[in-house]
Amino acid sequence: MIESLRARWAIIIAVFALAVIWTVPNFVDVEKIWWPTKARMILGLDIQGGSHLVLRVDVDSAVKQESARMAAQLPSELKEERIDVKEVTVVDPLRGHLKIEMQKPDDRAAIEKALDKYYGYTVQVSNVSGSTMEVEYSELYLREFKTRLVEQAIAVIRNRIDEFGVAEPSITAQGSDRILVQLPGIKDAEAAKDLINRTARLDFMIVLQNMSQQQLIDMVEEAEKTHGIKLGELKYSQYVDKINEVLKDKLPANSVVYFEKPENAASMEVARLPYLLSTVEAVSGDKLTSAQVSTGERGEPVVTFAFDAVGARLFAELTRKHTGQYMAIVLDKVVKSAPVIQTPITGGRGQITLGRGDMQQMMNEAKVIATALRAGSLPAALEQLEERTVGPSLGADAIRQGEIASIVSAILVFVFMVFYYKGFGIVANLALAFTILITVAVLSSLGATLTLPGIAGLALTLGMAVDANIIIYERVKEELAKGASMMAAIHEGYDRAFSAILDSNLTSIAVCIVLMYFGTGPVKGFAVTLTAGLLTSLFTSVFFTRAIFDLVVGKWKWNLAVK
Amino acid sequence: MAKEAVMNSKVETAASREEGLRFDFVKAAPLVGVVSLLLVIASLLVLAVKGLNYGIDFAGGTEIQLRFAQEVDPQQVRDALEEIGLKNATVQAFGNQSEYLIRLDTPAGETEKETNELITANVNKIKDTFKSKFGLTDDGVLRVDTVGPAVGSELRTQGFLATFYSLLIMLIYVGMRFDYKYAPGAVLSLVHDVILTLGVFSLLGREFNIQIMAAILTLIGYSLNDTIVTFDRIRETLPQYKGSKPLAWIINKAINDMLSRTILTGFTTLVAVLALYFLAGGVIADIAFTLIVGVIVGTWSSIYVAAPMVLLFEKYKQWKGAH
Repeated sequence: MIESLRARWAIIIAVFALAVIWTVPNFVDVEKIWWPTKARMILGLDIQGGSHLVLRVDVDSAVKQESARMAAQLPSELKEERIDVKEVTVVDPLRGHLKIEMQKPDDRAAIEKALDKYYGYTVQVSNVSGSTMEVEYSELYLREFKTRLVEQAIAVIRNRIDEFGVAEPSITAQGSDRILVQLPGIKDAEAAKDLINRTARLDFMIVLQNMSQQQLIDMVEEAEKTHGIKLGELKYSQYVDKINEVLKDKLPANSVVYFEKPENAASMEVARLPYLLSTVEAVSGDKLTSAQVSTGERGEPVVTFAFDAVGARLFAELTRKHTGQYMAIVLDKVVKSAPVIQTPITGGRGQITLGRGDMQQMMNEAKVIATALRAGSLPAALEQLEERTVGPSLGADAIRQGEIASIVSAILVFVFMVFYYKGFGIVANLALAFTILITVAVLSSLGATLTLPGIAGLALTLGMAVDANIIIYERVKEELAKGASMMAAIHEGYDRAFSAILDSNLTSIAVCIVLMYFGTGPVKGFAVTLTAGLLTSLFTSVFFTRAIFDLVVGKWKWNLAVK
Repeated sequence: MAKEAVMNSKVETAASREEGLRFDFVKAAPLVGVVSLLLVIASLLVLAVKGLNYGIDFAGGTEIQLRFAQEVDPQQVRDALEEIGLKNATVQAFGNQSEYLIRLDTPAGETEKETNELITANVNKIKDTFKSKFGLTDDGVLRVDTVGPAVGSELRTQGFLATFYSLLIMLIYVGMRFDYKYAPGAVLSLVHDVILTLGVFSLLGREFNIQIMAAILTLIGYSLNDTIVTFDRIRETLPQYKGSKPLAWIINKAINDMLSRTILTGFTTLVAVLALYFLAGGVIADIAFTLIVGVIVGTWSSIYVAAPMVLLFEKYKQWKGAH
């Protein structure tokens, strides 16, 4: 304990000044005036209103795709190195585990060299026996690959949200494959969600004429019946994947069936039209430089887009080669339109028509498509695990009610302390007020988020601060009853009570550390506020109040009553 | 000089206070301990039979809170939900029947992905139907919470683990700072508090959600504080009377010396949470309710469970040493 009263008060005044500096930005708009710090507490979505989404990036599918791609490319890459292999098969697509059937065991060294050239550290040989060699992705690469996917997905989501114009969005990775999106105060959460979840993959694919549309319809219907695939029960993309899987053997090589929704159909389920499309004679839309909403011939909203130089050249080649044929414009596996290529398109520009319908709806759809195209496509599918949306009015109600209740309960405690402990009670109340001020300051300086559970943590802090004062004062009363002088009783009270206060605070802090480690969101918020509060109350109820007594009773010789 | 006075007074009061013990807590402890044990067993039984009414945070599912511009009959709301095939939805009206809380269970999709799709579809259906039927506006949708089944069970595991490790840390801390013989009492009294509070929740069928879990953590903190303060006093009293008085007497004296503090703190906290319970609505009232139960149970347990456990543990040690 610092003996000099002057030094102790200097510390207290310094802490007070810092606390005020950090607390002010919560109540005053410091953007306009000069102030040393701009950090302030952020109100949680449960108080402020807004949307909270937890998404999972489907990393497994992306790894599977990557594995399949490697298995398909490997034979030709080895051929470049003048090595022929019998077969490359996928063993475990989740680890890029491939089995290579070599022509002869002697090829082994050459293959390893080639693998090192093409894949480097990403692939390692896991097993060799006779003329089969097994390889798989290295742990390091798999981890990097997954992290990169999540990072890319976050970047794309951020781009899209920024386009949408939400103030202070928070998009962060959570765990290994999750993304937490927090959109404070957003009114049309639905629209934002729609925007986030768009894959936004644009493709231009030549329509194959090997089969008539009626033939395709019959095949699809049969596949639906025999395999029990129903669009109403599945997401469209899943439906398309399943249909194509079933029909794989009946369709020409390098082709897929995608569907168009006729202009007058209300939903995808009604009267969809299948198209047989080439996966080879195609250009993907990831080489766009711009996409925007403009008006078509009939005044309807359309999305116009422009390619970059590489995309424009590929697009020109495709349209030159297939002049006179149909080309489908495909967005997220849905055929948006399939116009005839009248002349080769060399300017690298085009447009997507949206069909006919409610003007407002089409306008919204066009906006979403254009935004998604501009912001880039997602590297992997997203799956929504959790969604919480609090309307702004509920948040406001909660704040008002909570404020009134907290103020009343604080006043009750203050009144009780003064009633029961008289002059000492006033000192305790000063300490409580100081505790609140410092805790708010600490949370502000950390830029912490204040949630309802966080407020519960703050309430517990105050409860423990009150308790610390009660422990000390009861001890002082005990000592006075034994006949000690006021100053002696105060010193004895503080010295004796200190171990109890320290132990109870430290145990609680230890528990908070566990909660911070295990808890997510609400539990974490609780633990952070409680820790800040407990450390603060140790300072106020032991150091601060004692300095007051030493000054007022010890030096100024005031006659302070304890009961 | 002042110090000397204190020393003198201590010698005096030690003698004069001997008969001044207001209550013999330790004598009553076996009886009260049995009552506590019975209450714990009863709570466990209620929990086993009735279970906890898990909110969507833990069970997964969807909760929609709506406010209509006018009053709507609950039956009409139920009928409308039934029409769109959501027969199992729970409908709860607030106040003047213009505000509603609708809860949907997690629909059973084949995969997790499908399930999530179905959830979104249901929410949209409800919004659309209520918009056309009861003139619901976008502003009237106060809150929509959807928790996927995976996240729900994860939160449950996390909550359990967090509580478990908190207790473990306390066991270690109390064992280190005090004496290992104090640790079981501290942890048992907390386990006692948590089980009783959960029992009350199960009995009343109140929803158990993430906020309530935060409240239970708060009550663990509160009760721990109570227990430590009592232990601290025992630790302090022990050397003064070691050899001259039995442990039971010392513990009893410590509890009695702290009695005014225990009552005052309990009372103050109770007043504060009662104010929160009656004045604030919704989540804060729920948290306050848990704390009301917790303050009562926690105060009880630090007097009757934690401290006597120290004695019991000591006796067990003697018994074991004798055998």
